[in-house]
Amino acid sequence: MSASGPARQIVVVGGGVAAFSAISELRSRGFDGAITLLSPEGLPYDRPTLSKGYLLGTEDATKIRLAPEAWYAERSIELVPERAVALRPAEGAVELDGGRRLPADRVLLATGGVPRCLGVPGGEAAHTLRDLADSDALRRALAPGARVAVVGAGLIGAEVASAAVVLGAEATLIDPVDPPLVPAVGEALARRLHAMHAERGIRTIVGAPVGIEAHDGAAPGSAYSVRFADGSTVAADAVVAGIGILPDTALAEAAGLEAEGGVIVDDTGATSNPAVFAAGDTCRRRAGDGTLARRSEHWEAAVHSGQVAAAGMLGAEPPQFGAPWLWSDRHGVHVEAVGTLDERHAPGARTVLRMVDGVPQAAFLLAADGHLLGCSAVDLPLVVRAARRIIDRGIVPDPDALADPSADPRKLTR
Amino acid sequence: MSEGIDVGSPDEIEEGTARVIEPEESGFDEPIAVFHTETGCFFALDDTCTHEEASLAEGWIEGDAVECPLHSSSFDLRTGRVLCLPATQSARTHKVEVTGGRVVLYPGVDAEDAARVSEQAAE
Repeated sequence: MSASGPARQIVVVGGGVAAFSAISELRSRGFDGAITLLSPEGLPYDRPTLSKGYLLGTEDATKIRLAPEAWYAERSIELVPERAVALRPAEGAVELDGGRRLPADRVLLATGGVPRCLGVPGGEAAHTLRDLADSDALRRALAPGARVAVVGAGLIGAEVASAAVVLGAEATLIDPVDPPLVPAVGEALARRLHAMHAERGIRTIVGAPVGIEAHDGAAPGSAYSVRFADGSTVAADAVVAGIGILPDTALAEAAGLEAEGGVIVDDTGATSNPAVFAAGDTCRRRAGDGTLARRSEHWEAAVHSGQVAAAGMLGAEPPQFGAPWLWSDRHGVHVEAVGTLDERHAPGARTVLRMVDGVPQAAFLLAADGHLLGCSAVDLPLVVRAARRIIDRGIVPDPDALADPSADPRKLTR
Repeated sequence: MSEGIDVGSPDEIEEGTARVIEPEESGFDEPIAVFHTETGCFFALDDTCTHEEASLAEGWIEGDAVECPLHSSSFDLRTGRVLCLPATQSARTHKVEVTGGRVVLYPGVDAEDAARVSEQAAE
């Protein structure tokens, strides 16, 4: 495969939202060459719901598809439900399981990640959550009355614990950090959100397990003991680990592409081979000054990196995006954050809170010069959308208006 | 269905906001959001986002677009065209006109079709 000459045959490896975003962007930009999507799970589907609506059973597998089958046909995108086993850059091909080779002059790796396993004895018994089959298996485990120990109280762990109590299971949520999520939403909202678990009957434990012991058949209804360093244990019928992912860099590394905690890409999404691009959870961007960015594992970042790679494969300028955004749904509330709430990276910054009856509804991180760095909020979508515009447009907001629960969010950007 | 329904005077829907017309009022099978843009135009779309259960009337209205309050898909208010993920399906439009000092909604009448018809009539 060679980056000389315009792209005519693009093979996209992966069936997540980064892959979908890239193929969608390629056609939007008028690319009329061949696109083949290698998606072993078939029609691409949206993953955030696997720990939310899909896990709860309020959405089904058809509903969570990113687009119906006809969408691909209308855009002449060939969907191949097979796994790529090797890139053959020198031959301009991608090799499939079974030996078939697909010709390609550009390849996009959107291989995502694999859930990090609990690195303790017995840790392999824990459920992890990444794909539909994982969510199906987890839902079977979250039966009424079942005791579920969830290790990791970040976004996915908190959502799984929330779903567990809705489904009638008893949940214990375990995390060494108290409260979790401070870098993502700021301390005030992190405390409020973490306290909601106890209010919903979830037991929260500050700590990290040192082992998972299985009692196969020995004690019915008590399949596992989650053991802590002080000797205490939590009995559980099922254990879930929500402790992050490891980027799936296997294809890239086997093809000799540079990888370090992710497949390294430049500002155009290109890897160390200019004909091979990467997007989504698997990629890690190296900035122009040579520094490696932290891999973002959020949905919107995957969408944007897919769009960047699509532009890159066509030799176009990369699109620019504003402040990053994330959301989480648990205990019936919708949590969002935009920009950064991480004070560690903002010396001199201060936090302004929007409070109602002593409860924080939104947090704003203001730089020393008054610019807005980030905002997090619970059930305040317009405040978050205003904050995003304030950040992206470099507006210096009035801190009193940010803190005022009666202030109309639509007027904050003026 | 071509008969218009009176949904109020233009100033009853503040600029940059929207009003939801429920099926009981419109006789249409879905709630319809009537948007009043900051430039003074009126548009109408099915209120429920094509992605998940969220009311577009509660979204961020700016220019000729509305951004869903839940997952931030945007829709072109004139055409209903979806502008970004996670939604991939465009929203259904409904014709709205301001006539005789009233905002009149035509539930089920495609706004773009209506515009084309009126352009042809003007020729």
